[in-house]
Amino acid sequence: MRVRGRTWKGVALAGVLLAGCDAPLPKARVLPGPTHVTPVDPMDVMCRSQPRDPGRVTLHRLNRAEYDNTVRDLLGDTQAPARHFPPDDHGFGFDNNADVLSMSPLLMEKYSHAAKQLVETAWAKGTLRTCVLDPAAPEPCARALLQDFARRAWRRPVTAGEVDALVRFVALAKQHGDAPEVGVKLALRSVLVSPNFLFRVELDPTPTSTAPHPVSDTELASRLSYFLWSSMPDEALLKVAEAGRLHEPEVLEAQVRRMLADPRARALVDNFAGQWLYTRALDFAQPEARYGFDEPLRQAMRQEMQLLFQEFITGNHRLKDLLDADFTYVNDRLAAHYGLPPVGTDAMTRVSLEGHPERAGLFGKGSLLTVTANADRTSPVKRGVWVLEQLLCKGPPPPPPDAGGLAPAVDPTLNIKERMRQHRADATCSGCHALMDPLGFGMENFDPVGRWRVKEEGGATVDPSGELPGGKSFRGVVELRAVVKQDPDLSACMTRHLLSYALGRGAEDADRCTVHGISKEAESRGGRLADYLLAIVRSDAFLQRRGESEEGPKP
Amino acid sequence: MSRPTVLSRRTLLRGVGALMALPLLDAMRPRAARAAAPAPRRFAVFYTPCGIHMPKWTPKAVGADWALTPTLESLAPVKDDLLVLSGVDNLPGRPDGDGHHAAATAAFLSCAKARKTEGTNIRTGISMDQVLARAVGSATRFASLELGIDPGKGVGNCDSGYACPYANNIAWAGPSTPVPKETRPRAAFDRLFADFDPNATQAELEKRRAYGLSIIDAVREDAKALHGRLGTTDRRKLDEYFTGVRELELRVHAMEGAGPACGAVAPPEDTGDVRERTKAMLDLIVLAFQCDLTRTCTFMLGNARSQRVYSFLGLSGEHHAYSHHQKAQANYDALAKIDRWEVQQYAYLLQRMKAVQEEGGTLLDHSAVYFSSEIADGNMHEHKNLPILLAGRAGGALAPGRHLRYEGAPLANLYISLLRIFGVSANTFGDDGTGPLPGLDG
Repeated sequence: MRVRGRTWKGVALAGVLLAGCDAPLPKARVLPGPTHVTPVDPMDVMCRSQPRDPGRVTLHRLNRAEYDNTVRDLLGDTQAPARHFPPDDHGFGFDNNADVLSMSPLLMEKYSHAAKQLVETAWAKGTLRTCVLDPAAPEPCARALLQDFARRAWRRPVTAGEVDALVRFVALAKQHGDAPEVGVKLALRSVLVSPNFLFRVELDPTPTSTAPHPVSDTELASRLSYFLWSSMPDEALLKVAEAGRLHEPEVLEAQVRRMLADPRARALVDNFAGQWLYTRALDFAQPEARYGFDEPLRQAMRQEMQLLFQEFITGNHRLKDLLDADFTYVNDRLAAHYGLPPVGTDAMTRVSLEGHPERAGLFGKGSLLTVTANADRTSPVKRGVWVLEQLLCKGPPPPPPDAGGLAPAVDPTLNIKERMRQHRADATCSGCHALMDPLGFGMENFDPVGRWRVKEEGGATVDPSGELPGGKSFRGVVELRAVVKQDPDLSACMTRHLLSYALGRGAEDADRCTVHGISKEAESRGGRLADYLLAIVRSDAFLQRRGESEEGPKP
Repeated sequence: MSRPTVLSRRTLLRGVGALMALPLLDAMRPRAARAAAPAPRRFAVFYTPCGIHMPKWTPKAVGADWALTPTLESLAPVKDDLLVLSGVDNLPGRPDGDGHHAAATAAFLSCAKARKTEGTNIRTGISMDQVLARAVGSATRFASLELGIDPGKGVGNCDSGYACPYANNIAWAGPSTPVPKETRPRAAFDRLFADFDPNATQAELEKRRAYGLSIIDAVREDAKALHGRLGTTDRRKLDEYFTGVRELELRVHAMEGAGPACGAVAPPEDTGDVRERTKAMLDLIVLAFQCDLTRTCTFMLGNARSQRVYSFLGLSGEHHAYSHHQKAQANYDALAKIDRWEVQQYAYLLQRMKAVQEEGGTLLDHSAVYFSSEIADGNMHEHKNLPILLAGRAGGALAPGRHLRYEGAPLANLYISLLRIFGVSANTFGDDGTGPLPGLDG
C-alpha cells in the first residue's frame, strides 16, 4: 500500500486514497458525504477509549521569524538581523518544525555576529542601561541588569549561579583594563548566543520516561507566545507564569484572548497563514510577461490575503467561511485585475463581494490562484492538490514512476480538460487524478494570475465543470467551494495544520484523536479561528509533554 | 602583513573543555612552515537539479578520442582537463514510492537512502565532502564552504513526502544534520573575510580573542548544564550546537589583522538575477581556494525539483516541468538549452580556476571539480548512468582528457576514489560503496 506521509490513515479517510493509484475508487468521503448518514461518528467511538499521547517536541531552535520577533521585543530593535541568516528548512508545511530546524556552524557564526551588533546598538540607545554602572563598584548594577535581561531573554527565572557567571565578565574586562560596561556588554552577548536563548528549552523530570506530564508554567508561556506571536512572552505573560497560575483554564483563556487582540498576533498572518495558504510563495512567482504581473500587483495580492486572514483572527467569522467570505480587500489595481469596480485609491480597501460571487473566499484570490499555476498556463493538478492537502488533508498517493507533467498544449483548440482526459483514460493514473483534476477544473475560469476568463489562451471555451468520485458533479468555482466547505474533513484538516504549527511538530496519525477532539470543541464553541486556537491551547498535546525511551526514536 | 599568530595547543584546549578531541591545527604552526608546502589539493562540487537530457550529453567515443557533444560544447577550452564518466549509478537515491528528486539529492553526496518523512527523524548519511572536511578542514579557516542560489520557496511539500532538508542540501555533517548553504553572494563574501581587521593592533587582536573565547566558554557551560537534563533526540540537537560552538572557537582563534595575501577583491553585490548570482558565487569559490580559506566547497545551482523559469533563455516553463518531457521534442529542446547553460557555468568556473597560477601548476591542476545531477533522465527519474564530469588533475591523481565508460559502477566508488586522492583511507562509503573506481588516474 503506497501512502504518503501526510495522508491520514485513520477512520476519517474512509479508505479513499489508501487503495493506491490503480484500484477502483471507493465512494469518496471528500465531497459529497455518504448517502446514508451514520448517527454515530466512528471517530468518537474510537477516541473515547484511547489515551491521548501528547507527543514529544524536539528542542526547538528559534527560526528566523522567531529570532527577529524575539529580538524586537527584547531589545526594541527592529533591524530584523535574521533576514541575513540562511533560510530555515520546513517540515509538515511549516518552518517552525523543530525536527528540521537544525543548528550549524554557519548559523552559529551568524548568531555570534548578530549578538555583537544587537548589543552594541541597544546599548547605544540606552534601553538596556536600567541603572548606573559605578566604575568603583559596578557589581550591584551589573547583577541587576544582567539578571533582568537573562530572565527575559531566556524566558524563565535565572539561578544565582547563572547570574554569577554573567557578572564575571565585568571582572574579565577589568583584567584587560576595560570599563565595567565592556564586561556587561560581553555578558549580554553571551546571553544571546546561549542555548537558553537560541532554543526553546523544555525539560522532562525524567527524560527517559514516556509518561505524560504538564509542561511548567514558564514553558507554557513560551509555547503560547511562540504560537500566537512567534515571539517571547511579554512581561504580563511571564509574570502570570512565574506566579504559577498560567495553567489555570480561565487564566489561560484570558491570556489567549489578550494576546490575540495584541498587534503581535499578526505573526499568525505572516507565519501560519503565509505558509498554510502558500502566500509566501507569491514572492517567487514568475508568471510569463504576457500576463502583466508586476510588483504592485504582487504586493496587492499579498496584502489582500494578509488583511483577509487578519479579519479572521479578530473578527467574528467562522474559520470555514474562509471558503466563501463575501468580502475582500482591494486597491484600484487589484480591483481592475478582478473586474471589480474601482475603489478610488491605491490603498487596500475593504469591499463587499455581493454581485461578484466568483471572487468570494480563498478560491477567488489572486495570490492562491497564481502560486498554484505554472508560469505559462494554469495547472488544475496543482490547484486540486492544494485543496486536497491544505483543506482536506488528503494528499494524493504518488504518481507512477513514469508519469510526466503535462506537456505544453499539443492541440490548442482542445480545452485543458480534454487534454487531461488521458489522466483518467490511463488506468495507472485515473485513481488519483479522478480526485485532483476536477477540483482544479472548478477553478479553470481563473487564468494563471487569477484573472477571470471564459476562453483559454488557445481559444477553447473554458469548461469549469467537474465530476467527483461518487458521482457528485459541480459547475464552476461557486459550486466547487460549496462542496469543499461541506466536506466533513475540512474542520479536522484545518485543525491539523494549526496543531502542527502550534506545536512545532508534525501532527501525525497518533494525533488523530487529539485533532478530532479539538475540531469538535472548536466547532461547538462557534467555529471561529479563536475557538480553534483556544481548543488547541487547552488540549493535552499543548499542555503536556513526555520524554522518550533511552534509545530514542526507532532507526 | 602583521606577524602571524601562533597558538599553543594548550591555549586552545583550555577553551575546548573535555567534550571533543582537538586536531592539531595548521593555524597553530608558524606561517613560514606552511608556505614551503606544495599547493594543496582542493575539491569542489557543482550540483545541478532535475537531471540532464542525456542524448545530447554523452560522447560517443570512449577513451582519449572523445568529441564534445552539443551540451558539452562550452567546455572546449578545458576539454583536456576533463573526465566524462558514463555508466555510474546511484541506486541509494531511489525513493520509496515517489520523491525521486529529494531522495536522490539527499543521496547525491551521501550515497545513503533517505528515510521517507516530512520532518520527524530525518536521516540519510554523512556526505563525502563532509568526510573530506573532517579530514583536511582543520588546515584552513573554513573546514568547508556551502554555497547555492535558491533559498527555497518556503511553502508546501518539497517532494512527495520527503522533507525539505533532503531537497535543499547536499552537504550533511551527519545522517540527520544538513549543512545549510549561503545563497547570498555578499553574505558569503563577508563571512569569508569577516575575521580580518587590518586596523587592529596586535594587542587589540589579543584582547578580542580573549573576549570572544570567554563568551564561547560561557555558552558552552550553559550547553553542558543543559545536556545532562535532556533526552536522546534533544541531545542530538544540542550536539549540533556544540559543533557550532567549536567551529566558532576556531574562527576566533584564527582572527588576524591583515587579510589573506591573495589580492584585494571588491565584494559582490546581491542581485535577483540568477546569472549574476551564479557568477558571483563561482567567483567566490575560486577566491576561497586561491586564498586557501577552504579546500572543500559544494555549490547547488538550484534546489531539487527546481521550478526556476529560464526566461533569459527564452523559455516560459519551469525547469522541473520540462524535465518531465514526455518525449515531446519541444521539451527536449528546452532541456537542452537549460543543460547547455548549466554546463557553461561549470565551464566558467573551470576556466577561472585554470587562470590562477600556483606553485607547480594552476589551481585547476591542483583540484578535482565534480559536476553532476541527482538523476539522469527527468521523465523516468533515472538513477543510473548519471551525467558526471570530473575536472582537474587533483595534483596528479587524475588523468583527465578522457571519456570513461563503466557498467553500473556505484557512485559511492567514485567517492571512495576521491577520498583516497585527498588522503582519506576509505574502503567503503554510503550504502553501496565497495572500493575505488578504477581508471581515473590513467
